[in-house]
Amino acid sequence: MTSNKQGYSLVERYLPYLLIAPALGYLLFFIGYPLTQGVLLAFTDQNGHFTLQHVYYLLYSPSSNFWPALEDTLALAAVIIPIQIMLALGFSLMLSANFKGKDMALYILIIPLTISDVAGGLIWYSLLTANGFFNKLFMALGIINQPIQFFGYQFRPMEFIAIVLAEVWRATALVFVIIFAGLQMISREYIEAAEVFGAGTWTKLRHIIFPMLKPSVQTALLIRTLFAFQVFGVVMVLAGRDIPVLAGEAYYEQTILYHYGVAALYALIIAAISVVIGYIYIKMFKAQYLKEVAM
Amino acid sequence: MNNLYTPRMSRAISKSVAIAIIVIIIAAIIAGVGYYYYASQQQKTVSIIWASTQLVPPEEQAFVKGTLLTDFEKQTGIKVSFVGMSYSDMITRITSEEQAGKVTISLIGDLHGNLDLMASKGYLTDLSKFGTLPGRTFPDVLMKYAHLHGILAYIPWMTATYVMVVNKEAFNYLPQGLTKQDVITGSSKWTYQALLEWAKNLYEKTGKKLLGFPAGPNGLFVRFLHGYLYPAFTGAQVKNFNSQDAIKMWNYLKELWQYVNPASTTWDAMADPLLKGEVWIAWDHTARIKDAIEQKPDQFVVVPVPMGPKGRGYILVVAGLAIPKGAPDPQAAWKLIDYLTKPSTQVKVLEKTGFFPTVKEASTQAPAGALQVLIKGVNAQLNAPNPIVAMIPSLGSKSGDFKSIYITAFKQIVLQGQDPQKVLNELYPQLLNLFKETGAPLPPPDSGT
Repeated sequence: MTSNKQGYSLVERYLPYLLIAPALGYLLFFIGYPLTQGVLLAFTDQNGHFTLQHVYYLLYSPSSNFWPALEDTLALAAVIIPIQIMLALGFSLMLSANFKGKDMALYILIIPLTISDVAGGLIWYSLLTANGFFNKLFMALGIINQPIQFFGYQFRPMEFIAIVLAEVWRATALVFVIIFAGLQMISREYIEAAEVFGAGTWTKLRHIIFPMLKPSVQTALLIRTLFAFQVFGVVMVLAGRDIPVLAGEAYYEQTILYHYGVAALYALIIAAISVVIGYIYIKMFKAQYLKEVAM
Repeated sequence: MNNLYTPRMSRAISKSVAIAIIVIIIAAIIAGVGYYYYASQQQKTVSIIWASTQLVPPEEQAFVKGTLLTDFEKQTGIKVSFVGMSYSDMITRITSEEQAGKVTISLIGDLHGNLDLMASKGYLTDLSKFGTLPGRTFPDVLMKYAHLHGILAYIPWMTATYVMVVNKEAFNYLPQGLTKQDVITGSSKWTYQALLEWAKNLYEKTGKKLLGFPAGPNGLFVRFLHGYLYPAFTGAQVKNFNSQDAIKMWNYLKELWQYVNPASTTWDAMADPLLKGEVWIAWDHTARIKDAIEQKPDQFVVVPVPMGPKGRGYILVVAGLAIPKGAPDPQAAWKLIDYLTKPSTQVKVLEKTGFFPTVKEASTQAPAGALQVLIKGVNAQLNAPNPIVAMIPSLGSKSGDFKSIYITAFKQIVLQGQDPQKVLNELYPQLLNLFKETGAPLPPPDSGT
C-alpha cells in the first residue's frame, strides 16, 4: 500500500513537469535559442570575443540610421494608431446599426486584411505616383495642373503621409475586427434598460458602450502598437530608406551591408520595446479589469 | 521413406536444372562480352571535366547540361561533365590539384578576378598557342584584360554590365550639338555635361524630371557612383576619393540631381519606371532593365554610358574560360572553348541566363527584337572610345561597408547638401582601411593593368 501510495505521489509530483515539457521545449527551441544567438551576434566580434563595436556603430556611425529610425517609427505609431482606433470605433458603431447592405459593407471593410503589407504598399505606390491614378484623376478634373509628388527624399513629409494612408487602409481592418467583436458582446439588455429610463444616444454611448468596450479597445491597442514597431514592408515600398524605420534598418544592415551584429542589435531593441509596451498595457488592462469586477 | 519423388522424376528435374544453369551461363557470358565491348567503346569517347563558378544555379545548370553540352557531344563526340562550384572552392581545388601535380579539370569557367589570381600563381596555360578562333571578334577591352601576367590567360566567355536605356521619345528633346547617333554609338560628344543639358532640356520642355536612377535600398546606384562617375571624373574608383576632381564630380551630381526624378530614392530597379513612363532616361544593370526592353522593344534603345573628363568609366563583369596547366585533355577543352564562344551559342546563353555575348558577331545572330536591342547596346558600350574599365573590388564580408561609404557620401552631399570636402575627408580613411583590413588589392582602374 505504502509503496503504491509513494508511487502515486511520485507520478503526482512529476506529472505537471511532464505535461508542460513539450510547451517548455517549444519555447526553449523556438524562442530561447534564437534569442541567445541574437544576443551573441550583437555583442561578439568575428572571433567570438565580447565587443561593443556594434553598439558604437549603431549610435555614432555616420552610416547608421538608428536615431532617425527610432524617431520615425515612433512618429508613425503616434499618428497611425489614434486614427485607426477612431476609424475602427466609428465603423463598428455604424455597423452595429441595422441597415440594408450591412453584410456587404462588413466584407468590404475586411478585404485589406487579406492583402500582404508589401502588396498593400505597391497598390498605394501606383495610386499616388506622379503618373498614378490620383494624379491623373485630379489633373483630368482640373483640380491640379502639376502632378503632386509623393515620393523621393526631397518629399519626405509627403512620403510620411503616403505611409500613413497605406497603413490606415491596410491595418484598420484588424483593429475594427477586434472592436466590432467586443461591441457584439455587449448585451442588448443593458441598452434596453437604459432606453427604458429614457437615455439618449450620447448617454448610451458614454455610460454603457464605451465602458464595456474598454477591454476590446485595449486588446486592439496592444496588438496594433506591437505591430507598429515591426512596420517594414509598406515603408520599404513607399519610401525606401528616406523614412527609416527600425525593422527596415535591421533588414538593410543584414542583407545589404552584411552587419549581422548590428542587425541583431536592432532586433533586440525592437523586442525590448515590445516587451515594455506589452508590460505597460497589461498592467493597465489588469487594473481596469479588476476594478470593473469589484464594481 | 515415403519419398514423393521417384528416381526418374529427380533425374528429370536435375536435367531441367542443368539446362537452366547452362542457359544462365551462356547469357552471362554474352552479357559480359557485351559489357566489355560497350565499356571499351566508352573509353574511346573522350570525356573531360569542366569546372565553373558561373551558370551554377539549378535552372542554368539544367540548361548547360541538357542543351549546351548535349549539342556539343553530338557535334564532337566529346563528353563533358559540368561541375558547378563556389568561388572559394574553385581556388582551393585548382591550387591543390596544381600543387599535387595531378590535374583532373580540363576547363575552368570563372570571373576575371579569380582567373587573375590563378594566372599570377602560374596555374594557367597560355592560350595563344592554340591559334585564333575564326569567325568571331572580341572587343579590345576584353582582350586587354584577358592578357594577364604575360600570357593569354583566358578567352572572354560572358559579360554583364550596367548601361543606359533611353525612351525614343527623349530623342525629340536633345540639347544643342548632341545627335541621336552620338548617344547610340557613344561618341566623344556624349558626355556627362551633355547628359545634364539633356535632362535640363527635358525638364524645361516637359515640366517633368525624366532622368532616373535605382537609388532605393536594394538598388544598384552605388555602382554608378564608384564604378562610373568616379572613374569618369577622377580616373580611379578609390585612390582619388577626396581629390579636387572628386569635388567637381560631386558638384556635378548635385546639379544633375535637380533634374533627376526625386522618386529615384525609392526605386530598386528601373524596368518599372521606364515602362510606366516615369522616366525616359535611366541607368541600371542589364538584368534589371531587360524586362522593359522585352515588353516594348520598339520603345527603348540601350546606349553606352556618357564620358567624363577622364574617359568613359564603366563596370565590367567578365567571365572567362581557361585551361589549367597539366590539364588531362587541353585539345578537347579548346574545342569546348571554340563551341562556347560561337556567336550562336552565345545568343542561346543570353536568352537563357541574361549573360551577354563577348563576340561582336552575336548581335547579328540574335533574333530581332528585345535581345538584339540589348546586345547592340552592350556591344556599343564595349566598343565605345576612351573606356576606363572598373572592376568591383573583392572585399568579402567588408563589401557592404564599401557600398555604405559611397552611399553615405551621396546622401550627405547631394541629398542633405553638406560640404563635399568635409564629408569626403571624413570617409576616405574608412575606405582605405577596408582595403588594409582585408588585404585586398585596389581594383582596376586604380591598380592599372
